[in-house]
Amino acid sequence: MTDSVGDGGLAARGYSRPAGRPFWRLHFQRRITLWGIAFVAPALLFFAVFKFGPMIWAIELSFTSYDMVSAPTFVGLENYRKLAGDPVFLASLTNTLVYIAGSTVLITVVSLGLAMAINSQVPGARYCMMAMFLTNLMPIIAVCLVWRFLLHPFGLITQLLAPFGVDRVDWLTDSRTAMPAIIAVTTWRFAPYFMVVFLAGLLAIPRDYYEAAEIDGATARHRFVHVTLPLLMPTIFFVVVISALLSARIFLMPYIMTGGGPGNATRVLSMLIYETGFSYLKMGEAAAISVVLFAIMLVFTMGQMRLFMRGERVHG
Amino acid sequence: MSAVALAPPARRRRRLPAPLRRLKPWVGLVLLLALTVAFLLPILWMTTTSFQAGEKMFQLTTDWIPSVWHPENYPNALGRAPFPTFFFNSTVVSVIVMVGNVVFCTLAGYGLAKFRFPGDRWVLLAILCTLMLPLEVTLVPTFLVVYQFGWLNSYQGIAGPLIIEAFGIFLMRQSILSIPSDYIEAARIDGAGELRILWKIIVPQCRPALAVLAVFAFRDSWDQFLWPLTVVSVNEYRTFPLGLVAFGEDYGTPPTEQMSIAVLATIPVFLLFAVLQRWVNRGFGLSGLK
Amino acid sequence: MVSKTNSTAGAGPSRRDVIRGLGAAGLGAATFGVAPRTWAQARAPVNLSFWTFENPQQRPWLHKRIRLFMEQNPAVKVDFQFFPFGDLGKKLSVGFATGTAPDGFVSQDWFMPTWLAKDLLAPLDVQRLGYSSVQSFSDDFTQAFVAGATKDGKVYGYPLWFYGFANYINTNQFKEVGLDPDKDSPKTWAELGEVAKRLTVKSGERFTRQGFKFAMHAAQWTMIQFNPILIQHGAKWFDDAGKCTINSEAGVKAMTVRASIARTYGAEDPADSIATAPLPQMDWLRERASMFFCHPIPPAAIASQNQKMLTEGYYRPVQYPGVEPGKGFSTTYGFNLVVNARAPKEKQEVLHDLYKFMMSDLADCWKDTAPFTLARKSGWVDSPEVRQFPHVDEIIKAKDQGVYLPRTVVYNELADAVHRGVQRIMLNRADIKATLDEIAAEVDRATEASKRG
Repeated sequence: MTDSVGDGGLAARGYSRPAGRPFWRLHFQRRITLWGIAFVAPALLFFAVFKFGPMIWAIELSFTSYDMVSAPTFVGLENYRKLAGDPVFLASLTNTLVYIAGSTVLITVVSLGLAMAINSQVPGARYCMMAMFLTNLMPIIAVCLVWRFLLHPFGLITQLLAPFGVDRVDWLTDSRTAMPAIIAVTTWRFAPYFMVVFLAGLLAIPRDYYEAAEIDGATARHRFVHVTLPLLMPTIFFVVVISALLSARIFLMPYIMTGGGPGNATRVLSMLIYETGFSYLKMGEAAAISVVLFAIMLVFTMGQMRLFMRGERVHG
Repeated sequence: MSAVALAPPARRRRRLPAPLRRLKPWVGLVLLLALTVAFLLPILWMTTTSFQAGEKMFQLTTDWIPSVWHPENYPNALGRAPFPTFFFNSTVVSVIVMVGNVVFCTLAGYGLAKFRFPGDRWVLLAILCTLMLPLEVTLVPTFLVVYQFGWLNSYQGIAGPLIIEAFGIFLMRQSILSIPSDYIEAARIDGAGELRILWKIIVPQCRPALAVLAVFAFRDSWDQFLWPLTVVSVNEYRTFPLGLVAFGEDYGTPPTEQMSIAVLATIPVFLLFAVLQRWVNRGFGLSGLK
Repeated sequence: MVSKTNSTAGAGPSRRDVIRGLGAAGLGAATFGVAPRTWAQARAPVNLSFWTFENPQQRPWLHKRIRLFMEQNPAVKVDFQFFPFGDLGKKLSVGFATGTAPDGFVSQDWFMPTWLAKDLLAPLDVQRLGYSSVQSFSDDFTQAFVAGATKDGKVYGYPLWFYGFANYINTNQFKEVGLDPDKDSPKTWAELGEVAKRLTVKSGERFTRQGFKFAMHAAQWTMIQFNPILIQHGAKWFDDAGKCTINSEAGVKAMTVRASIARTYGAEDPADSIATAPLPQMDWLRERASMFFCHPIPPAAIASQNQKMLTEGYYRPVQYPGVEPGKGFSTTYGFNLVVNARAPKEKQEVLHDLYKFMMSDLADCWKDTAPFTLARKSGWVDSPEVRQFPHVDEIIKAKDQGVYLPRTVVYNELADAVHRGVQRIMLNRADIKATLDEIAAEVDRATEASKRG
């Protein structure tokens, strides 16, 4: 890691270090350090006010019962106890976990596949990549509205299955297919972004490795498993963690496409937080649910941190 | 790799006859094109539907090229609710968020990349931790905070909590890390001020990252729904997603007109991407792509 | 100077107005029709906020009256805001919580218990509204309308619109399948199923026309439509101890009836809103459903989707079916003008004047918002425009005979639980008893939580 302060290159220019630190150099170093703090301070202040402060407040609130009209009353672990016995919460929790798992796996696999397809030396691949990337830029509200129509029981997606003798599929109104449908739409939306990330990772793998493996008689599959995958591990890890974090937060898709239904089949934690807090005005309970969501994200962020620290050591 | 020269000749794999081999890339292209079109189908559907007559939606068959074009869907849709206001609000907020991110994430990224100060590891960790504190998790208290500031129903209120994102900081930090520190040190020796260094040396070198940051910050703010829903209760400050959902569901707005608004909403983000295309590609590290 | 006679019940207020008006005219000041000269003329400017729900006929009328009031009282400025129907209650809750609630608003009547429980509304000064006493105020409305707005002998809401649901039928389609719209319109649930079955047109598995359709898109509609079915079968939402009793035997019967149109008679496709239209009555307006339970439908709404239906008039509202013929009734629900308890005294007074002004010309209200029926007994029912409105008697009958939505502080939770349960029953073919048990349990939990405070 390049030492950003050091001696300012003075030694290289023939300045010798005088015995004892001269006043002006101390001042110089301290000035730089202060600048560093100054650069980082606005962000830190911002996070203190808009992230850490609120989270601490949320944890506090989760131990109270608060309807926003009168002052909060302390209720200890009552909110958590109630949640543990509440089928709607448990359903939302399960849905969220299923959704995270499904989306993450599907996104990772699909985007890797897409990246490999683009990387296959096919002419014009670059333009295909840019075109596919557009789906990632489309406003998510537009995505939800369009797919709600496409997933109509007799809509376009069902029509595409007509050759297979399928007449009607209640994509969004059958609890067996509602969540998979939303996972599929999520994948459609996010895969192109991670495709680009994977692509960058693939491009970074030196050709020599592949050539050597080919000479050694490795088949394409071997090359993939023994060369590509191991070298792509950090990227894969990044994609998994980030798509998990994105999935955990999802709100608009189930909200617009199914309203959380049918029944509770697609209700996710973020929706439950909004409803509990702003429909039923149970702020304490909403805060408790927030803490649970936070815990889920904590798990994935710890994963991200580990990756980061490792990355730090590798890249210096 | 050193064993290559001494290895026995590799087993001959069955290879395609020469003419077919030449075709392979083209077959690949066709397949790739099919995949791309499949991906783009919904966008195409949205665009073509936005020009159809309201009736068409009820038949649920898709005419990819409308037999009759209805461009009046667009002005009709815009007139159903104060959409021009909504779009204006979204633009204002998204520009504020984009600029805020670009400025503050660069500052913080630079500070974390090229400066050492007591507790800098902790700061990095803390910023990393904010990844698990999205608005969905902190909705209620953030709302209360914004309310305390008196920022309900205002641009500051909508844009405020979005001004700085951890992703942006990491992106800039990663990019600035790769700038050799010698430039910076040399400039310092020459007596340049820190801000001058930032402006003249750092910023020009991380343009690709800045482009990526700008596009995604704009896009994320443009997409925001839950937060404006919570914070805005008057038409003057509604952003277009709120308008699209509220007035789209309203009495008799044909879905075709909803699609018109959706198309209009998609254009600005695409435009921004097109404008910053060159740098975004580099920012993703894709300059090596054919 | 012409003074518009106030046709409110009793000649008292109007005569006083006229005298006062003439007196004022004598002083060279303008007479302002019905509203008494408000103090607002002489005092400092007042800024009010007023919220209501979006509706293409009702909202503009409210806005129009408010603008007129502002013209006549230049010192008053009203900030007028409106929200989608389903959102208004939530926005108000949040507003109250954060102290940003409006000074006055239109309250959906099922929320009255919630506001009253938390003392969020100011008691109305009926005299300022033009009534001599609380008794004369109550007498001017159907008892039940006022009951929902009264607590401890004080009145907290000024009922504006109250209406019931009716069964809107497409008479052309009736005739098409050989039915007589007058004689054969369904009076019982079994008849509804039978008639719907005859009206249904399918091509293969797919419904080209549903004989009948329940709106299933929002909790509010689910509640309004199911409420009368439950009560008709003798079940209750809550017992005297406050426990939810939707899962009683009678409740199961009621829900079975609700599900029967689709399940037993095959006349409805709950998953397919054929038009993929969020607006529930769209299918009926587009003639893809022959019968549909709905609030009074304004001619403008019909015209916007199906001009032919309006011009040729081949539709009509009939009464909700019942368990026995002639015993049908639907839900009556409505909207009250209310005042925020936390608004400063001055603003509360101005609001009273505003409400009095708004309610002073109900014939004008009918002109703009027909056929949304008004809650007050007097001042509009006999006017010629009302009398001439097609099928107005059916609509008024629906309003007068209807039952009310359950009055409970956990209304939101109840509505959501029922809505989800109905989704499970209709879309996933869930077992009715089991689902009703789940709904009852959910509601009981919410009631418990609300008691804890």
